Amino acid sequence: MKGVSGWFTLKGKSVNSIAYSFHRLTGIVLLLYLIAHLSFLTSLRIGEETYTAFISITVRPETLPLDSLLFLATFYHAFNGLRVVLNEFGLLYEARKVLIYLMTLLALLFWLYSTYMMYVFLTG
Amino acid sequence: MEREVLFRIRRFDGEKEYWQDFRFTARKGMTVLEGLYFIKENLDGSLAFRASCRMGICGSCAVKINGKPRLACETQIFDVGDVLEIEPLDNMPVLKDLIVDMDGFFRKHEAVKPYLIRKDDDYENPKELLQTPKELHAYYDFSLCIKCGACYSACPASATRSDYLGPAAITAAYRFCADSRDEGREDRLALVSGSEGVWRCHFNAECSEVCPKSIEPAKAIQKMRLMSAIHMIKSIFR
Ligand code: SF4
Ligand code: FES
Repeated sequence: MKGVSGWFTLKGKSVNSIAYSFHRLTGIVLLLYLIAHLSFLTSLRIGEETYTAFISITVRPETLPLDSLLFLATFYHAFNGLRVVLNEFGLLYEARKVLIYLMTLLALLFWLYSTYMMYVFLTG
Repeated sequence: MEREVLFRIRRFDGEKEYWQDFRFTARKGMTVLEGLYFIKENLDGSLAFRASCRMGICGSCAVKINGKPRLACETQIFDVGDVLEIEPLDNMPVLKDLIVDMDGFFRKHEAVKPYLIRKDDDYENPKELLQTPKELHAYYDFSLCIKCGACYSACPASATRSDYLGPAAITAAYRFCADSRDEGREDRLALVSGSEGVWRCHFNAECSEVCPKSIEPAKAIQKMRLMSAIHMIKSIFR
């Protein structure tokens, strides 16, 4: 058996595998984010100052690229996940490649718009 | 037309794995399998690989060519290029050079009961089982599998779970479940409805990309999944 490397091997593979690998990668990123997010929220139990101190580390213009990447991972995972759900219900599997391109395009559009909105929010 | 090509072959002698380069002059139309025979006959007699029919029927010659599982007998060298990296299939233990142990793959195939099951089996008095063209087309494409293992090699779910039935076995299960003459659907659904069956597939669909018979195992798995879901819901109300 090839093991976990089989999830990320792209040599000789099609766009299906690229989508699959990115889905796994973005899933891991979102899991790490969820852990950080829940840790931040749990810090409220210690006190509001602790929470505010934590938030001040991450909500500032310098961390905008990280937030932006997080949004990219989120939108990619969400839209590609939608495609997988459709395909796994037995719908549109013949159009799977077109759907990959379409969903990636949608994810990119949502990502650009959200990054712009965050930039406007942070810079006033 | 002739030109020099390089075959980089990933070899295994039972203990160590290594790459070995072979250069020779290939001619137009020469297949990868013919290249392998040329090497065995002229350059290194110890090279081991499987082949039988040389015409895409037996499924023995599947290897990875530049990363993609393909039938060596159906792939022309010049269609790939001048440098070909040839490796054994993934997700199966390598026995020697390009030969993998397909025992587990065939056992999984066997496990899904890939044959017609009839309650009225009577070999003494065989009877004709009629089918309409529509009934035939419901499963015909899926009956073309040659058990080459290319789909199994490309499948990321098979890469991490040795108990996953894999695309070929589930396709075989679907082929018989979709056959109007078959009466073994319940048996097979029980076999493929677990986490080692249809629910393990995460729809990478690479199996459909590499299948040399264009069978679309990914489609068969999703159809089997729907059948399995309906079966599970029905069984709750039974
Ligand atoms: S489904 Fe296709 S790739 Fe898989 S074993 Fe059968 S012929 Fe080979
Ligand atoms: S040798 Fe039989 S399929 Fe290639």
